Formats: sequence, structure tokens, C-alpha cells
Amino acid sequence: MRRETQNILLVLTGGALLKIAFGDTYLRYVKPSQQPLLIIAGVVILALAAVAIVRDIKARQPKTSQPRARAAGHDHARSAWLLTLPVLAIFVVAPPALGADSVDRDSSRATAGATDSAFPPLPRGAVVDLSVTEFVTRAGWDTANSLDDRTVELTGFVVRDGESLRLARMVVTCCAADAAPLSVRLHDAPATGLRSDDWITVTGQLVPGTATEASDYQPVLRVDSLREVSAPRNPYE
Amino acid sequence: MTIVSKNSAESAADERPRRRITSLEVLCVLVLLAVLGQDWLQRILDAPAVRTGATIFVAVCVQALPFLVLGVLISGAIAAFVPARVLRKVLPRNEALAVPTAGAAGIALAGCECASVPVARRLIGQGVLPSVAFTFMLAAPAVNPVVLVATAVAFPGEPGMVLARFLGSMGTAVFMGWLWAKLGKAEWIAERVLRRMPEHPGNRRWVTFAETARHDLVEAGGYLVLGGLVSAVLTVAVPQDWLATLGGQVVLGVLVMAVLAVVLSLCSEADAFVAASLAPLPLLPKLVFMVVGPAVDLKLFALQTGTFGKAFALRFAPATFVVAIACALGAGLLVLGGVR
Repeated sequence: MRRETQNILLVLTGGALLKIAFGDTYLRYVKPSQQPLLIIAGVVILALAAVAIVRDIKARQPKTSQPRARAAGHDHARSAWLLTLPVLAIFVVAPPALGADSVDRDSSRATAGATDSAFPPLPRGAVVDLSVTEFVTRAGWDTANSLDDRTVELTGFVVRDGESLRLARMVVTCCAADAAPLSVRLHDAPATGLRSDDWITVTGQLVPGTATEASDYQPVLRVDSLREVSAPRNPYE
Repeated sequence: MTIVSKNSAESAADERPRRRITSLEVLCVLVLLAVLGQDWLQRILDAPAVRTGATIFVAVCVQALPFLVLGVLISGAIAAFVPARVLRKVLPRNEALAVPTAGAAGIALAGCECASVPVARRLIGQGVLPSVAFTFMLAAPAVNPVVLVATAVAFPGEPGMVLARFLGSMGTAVFMGWLWAKLGKAEWIAERVLRRMPEHPGNRRWVTFAETARHDLVEAGGYLVLGGLVSAVLTVAVPQDWLATLGGQVVLGVLVMAVLAVVLSLCSEADAFVAASLAPLPLLPKLVFMVVGPAVDLKLFALQTGTFGKAFALRFAPATFVVAIACALGAGLLVLGGVR
């Protein structure tokens, strides 16, 4: 691959990183805390390409009589063509956040490092807004049973399998490659017209004793109300 | 118009301005086609499995690129600002002693595994013994404080896991260094790696820095993408349900977790959480997963092939795989006192 082409590919790669970092798109792929890393990396890649381009243009001017110095001899980097793949994927396709398909694919995981213990009491109020992680962890491992007789509000996407309905959320540690699903079974839910990957907010109560090893630690929620919402900024927990 | 081989195309283009198709035009056409065919591409990529795979592919690339950039910057800095004689002075003269020293130095570079490959390459270019550089390459991503803290967080109530991981990874790195000192041959490493960078005074150093970093980035970037691609395809194509059936079988569990670590190509800062969440397995297979992952996985194999050559990677990666499993088992039995 020619040096000029490599430089343009680097410009595209750096540009792709900056494009996703300056929107919300990067949240589909990595944790929010990685945004500064993406920006720095994008800027550095652009700068490296810019230096090379400027040097090439200078070297081509007739005044400089010495032959053009190629820092590392000939570049036999055919592999660099592969860089077009993520660039095109980001600019042209922009793959969506992981959803119901990943939940179906991966049913063998439980919450990382959860152990039986007494959790602190939930905040007061008629309805408690909880993350799915918090709800599932408390349902499975809280010896103080802090969820009993409490109405909670959960937000997640729908996983639909015939008549059975689940609310799920992917938990991401570093990037989407390590995402693990958490899901809650919904009982008495008005399921009309809901499809997998629709985002919903539900309120309801935990059916005690449903989050056990036999159920893969998927608690059951008796649903009071259910409404469709738009996808949150960060699709992962 | 004909497509001629790259070298003659370049020299010919410099001398006489005749019309030839170069990589530049190919790239332009490629981008143009992708933009024009956007709707069509999005339609064929709409199957759920393909969508999941594409997201994982982009995630691996996006997540790893900043660390690769960090690696090539350090690599450029070594080439430009650290003369070979300084490195010779810092490291012990005795190879057997220099290897563990390099392992200990790995504690300081808090980065993912992608960063350490270009750094190791440049260390060799500056005259550091390959065995020493490889030990550093294997140790840096696995024993740095960020990774150890992540392990402690992922395994609450099991402080032994942190120590076992440290010992297993350090053991792998040091043993591979000694193994290379004993059996390794310089001709397995691609010739370009061994070529010394010319030393430039003053101003030229910044040019060396920028050019080296750029060159390493282009060379390694493509292989990183290749590793991410294979890993994403396998993640989607291989059903993960069979993991649940492994429960009690320790030997099979260890082997499967070792292979899984290679296939998933996770960042070393995240693998502890994934290991912890693979519920039904005992601690020992999870430890194997965490020791093997940062030492050898598809992404690293691709990077090493691109950086050090195929002859090197085909020997080094399988050896690392075996040594890492052995060291993990040893450290696990020593610290955890059994399978658990």
C-alpha cells in the first residue's frame, strides 16, 4: 500500500474515532469513561497522519535536492487494508447497541461476584427507581429481603419469546465484547404490540423467592404499569 | 490500465507520470461504493446475529485502538529518544537475570496487551535481547496495578485470586523469556524487527518519533482489526450455552476456559469480570482464563504475526498457550490450595 493511501486511511480512522466519541454513538461500544481515551487516540492518529502528509509535500518541492527519505524503507503493509473495515462499519453502518439477540445467545451467566449478604434498605417513596443490576442482585442475594412489598421502577429492552416477556439490560465492564445480560421475567404485563428490543419502563413488585439458581437468577416482577420509552443515552449498565 | 505489483508501481509513478491504478484510487472507489451502497449494506446486515457480530467487532476495535496508539507512541519514543546504550546500561548483563527484571518492569506499564507488542518490537530494535523484550511483552498487560485491582473487585471475598493471577502471569512471562533464551532462534523473527533505527541528533529525533509511531500504527492496526473480526465471528457462531454443562468437570473446564480466553480476545482489564460471571465453574478454570487471555489470544496472535512475522507467531503463541495453562494451574494449586 502506498504511503499516501496509508495516511488517508489514518485520517479516516482517526476521524471515525472522533465521530463516535463526539456523539452518543461510542456508548454502544464502550463504557462512558473511555470517551477521553477515544478523543486522545483520534487526535493522535490524525496528528501522525498530518505530520507524514506535510513532510511528503515538503519533500516533493523541487528545492529540496536530497532524495526523499522514507523512515522505514518500503512499507509492505498490505494488512493496513483491513483498517477500512471498522472505518466503513462506523461511517456507513454504525452497528446498533447489543440487544435481545445477545440475551438469547448467552444465558449461562450470573451477576459477577454476588454473594449472600444484607443489603442497605431501599430509599423511601412509593415507587423506587432501580437499575436492573440492583434489582436482580437484591432479588437473588439480599438476606434482608429489602425488595419485599416494595414497588420498583425498571427500564430495559424487551426480550419476547412467544407469550413470555422479559425486561433485560446488558452489563458492560470495558467494551461490548464483554457484555453480559441481566433479565427480569414480567408477569401480568399488557404485552400488546411489544416486540423484542423495544425499550420499556415498568413498575411492579418482586414475586419473592423467584430468583433462584433453578431460574438462572431471573426474578419475576408482577407488573402494575408498563409504558414504551425511547432508548436511553447509554444502553448499557 | 493494469494493476502492477506495488513496488514497481511506486517507483514508476515517481519517474514517469503514466496512468496506473494505485492503492489510493482503489481506496477512493471502495469508499464511494460503500457510501452508494449504504442502504443495501444496512439491509444485508440486518439479521440479528450479524448485527450482534458487527457491534462486537466495532467494540473490540474501538476499545483497543487507544491502547495501540499508546503503544506506538511509546515505541516511537524508544526509537527516537532512548539510545541503545542506555538500555544496555539499565538492564542486567546476565540474560537469566535480565528476564525477571523485565517482568518486574511490566508492572509499570498500565495498558492493555495491544500496547505492549509494538513496544517489545522497538526494544528489540534498540538492541534489547529478544527474551527480555518478550518477557516484558507478556508481563506488562497482565500484572499491572489496574488489572490486579480489577481482579480484586471482580472476586470479592477471594483475595487469593489476585495473588494467584499475579504469580501465574509473572511465571508465564519469565518462563517464556527463559525458554526463548534457551531455544529461540533469531531467524524466526522477521528481519525488519532486528534492523537498528539510525540515531539522529536533535531535531531529526522528532521526525523519527513521528515516523516510527505512524509506521507501527499502520502495520499493527490492520492485524488488530483482523483479530477483532475473527473474535467477533467466533463469539456469535459458537453457542455459549455449553459452558453451563461443564460444571463439575475440572480438566475439561480448564481446557475450555483456556480456549475461550483465546477466542474472546478480551481486554486484560475486563477479563476478570467476565471470568467471575461465568457462574457454574470452580475458581481454577477461571484463573486459567485470566492468565491465558492477556498472554495469548486471537487479537494478539494477529498482532504478533504482523509485527514479528508468521514464523515467530506460529511457534511463540502455542508455546505461550501451554506455558500459561501450566503456570496458572501451578499458581492456583499453590495459592488456592486446590480446584475450589
